[in-house]
Amino acid sequence: MLEEKKPMETIETEIPMGTVHPAALEPYRVRFFVEDEIVKEAEITVGVNHRGIERIMEGLPVEKANALTEKICGICSNAHVWNSVRTAEMGLEISIPERASYIRIIMGELERLHSHFLYLAHGCEVLGHETFSMRVFYLREAIMDLLHMIGGNRVQYGCSIIGGVRPRCDLDQSKIEKLLNSLKSVEEGLSGFADRFTSDSILMSRIEGIGLIPQKQALKLEVTGPTLRATGVAKDLRTTMPEYENFDFNIITQEGGDVKSNLLMRVLEAFESIKIIRQAVDELPSGAVIDRSWKMVDCEPIHSYIEVPRGTLYHSYALEDGRIRGSIIRTPSMTNIGAMQYACIGDHITDAQLSIVQCDPCFTCTDRAVEIIRR
Amino acid sequence: MGIKSFSRQRAIHVMLVYTGGCNGCDIEIVNSVLSPKFDAEQYKVFLTWNPREADILVVTGPVTTFNKEPLKKIYEAIPEPKLVVAAGACALMGGVYKNIHGDIPSEEIEGPVENIIPVDAKVPGCSVRPQDVLAGVVASLPELLKKE
Repeated sequence: MLEEKKPMETIETEIPMGTVHPAALEPYRVRFFVEDEIVKEAEITVGVNHRGIERIMEGLPVEKANALTEKICGICSNAHVWNSVRTAEMGLEISIPERASYIRIIMGELERLHSHFLYLAHGCEVLGHETFSMRVFYLREAIMDLLHMIGGNRVQYGCSIIGGVRPRCDLDQSKIEKLLNSLKSVEEGLSGFADRFTSDSILMSRIEGIGLIPQKQALKLEVTGPTLRATGVAKDLRTTMPEYENFDFNIITQEGGDVKSNLLMRVLEAFESIKIIRQAVDELPSGAVIDRSWKMVDCEPIHSYIEVPRGTLYHSYALEDGRIRGSIIRTPSMTNIGAMQYACIGDHITDAQLSIVQCDPCFTCTDRAVEIIRR
Repeated sequence: MGIKSFSRQRAIHVMLVYTGGCNGCDIEIVNSVLSPKFDAEQYKVFLTWNPREADILVVTGPVTTFNKEPLKKIYEAIPEPKLVVAAGACALMGGVYKNIHGDIPSEEIEGPVENIIPVDAKVPGCSVRPQDVLAGVVASLPELLKKE
């Protein structure tokens, strides 16, 4: 069915883009090698945004370092803190109160919603449909208000700390009521959007078959997250995470791996996230949200993997005298660079930006120091 | 008020340059102009990605080494009169990335923005709130209209 796209031998015309370019919001450099306006090869270079977070983390007290990981990314900030705190908790063998775990999941899923809405809005803007973009931005504001209500800030909310969540992030009855009301209106708005979106034949013909990533290639490139699930592989770390054990949700997959299946993927995943938040609120256990009775000990490097809006996030560090040693962070967008490069190949040059955007890039996450080990 | 200022105040073009922060301020600023809730376009403030059209340059992020030269070039490409608004803690003082442990400066960061280009208005916050960005842009407008 799907043919493997192979680059040509000699390509003469090169279109460079970046590091700052009107079409790309974030600074990164991409070189398109084109032949008759068809992209034959693409090369993404990162490193423009590198700030050396792992270096700054080295030797910091673990509490400070956890707060610092939040500044890796402004879109999935909660995911970074969650995973960093989770790493410390695994190393120090702390079991957190159940209520704290539920609140972390609520925050995580709200963040998934706002990230997916941002993706949809940005995707619609790039493909040139500003009305849909505005519509999703409006839905997203409701989620941002909820994050502001629970976390106290619109972007960096620092919800998780070692032993549970911050007491200010606790949910009382009035907050729960507002949360459920907002979710209801968001769900209605989203299903309205989904109906309108899928019945738009012009839009569908515009995005169908653009930016193809075959399943075989996606597995070969170690693509993670929704981009992988859009090619038909049902792989989601939430199924194996002990935090999500009590929750009932479906793993959404789409066939195709093009822009259409990626966009629909995010819409359907948003409904699942709303479902998870409803379950968490319904079964929210009572009790304390933080357990401060833990002791600092030294530990070997700990590896923690969680599922974040963009895929699998990995944090690892060792603890020595309460300080961080040898921190390693691998973000999902980092592993998806291969997919971004591959998705451009074979499409028109005007669709190249759309092909990159369909892999949900976040170049602040992506700019990590990498060592490629060839085997 | 000359005819130039009179017409300019009816179409303020803001250009956003993102120099390596965490993406938080960046999205909030795009949000404050584009999203239907804050919608700066109703006050005739438009977002542009072309420096030759822009009147106000909004800079976010602590300016990484790679972004220093592009930022200067963009600043020079904007026609006079122009204003620079630095938004977010990173653009104002380098943020959490500026120093490694105490006062040891990080070699990746060239910021704050003031070191590279002159700044006219500062918007604090981590990340900035859309309301604050709008307030910052609006507060700097008289300065822009004074310059002919």
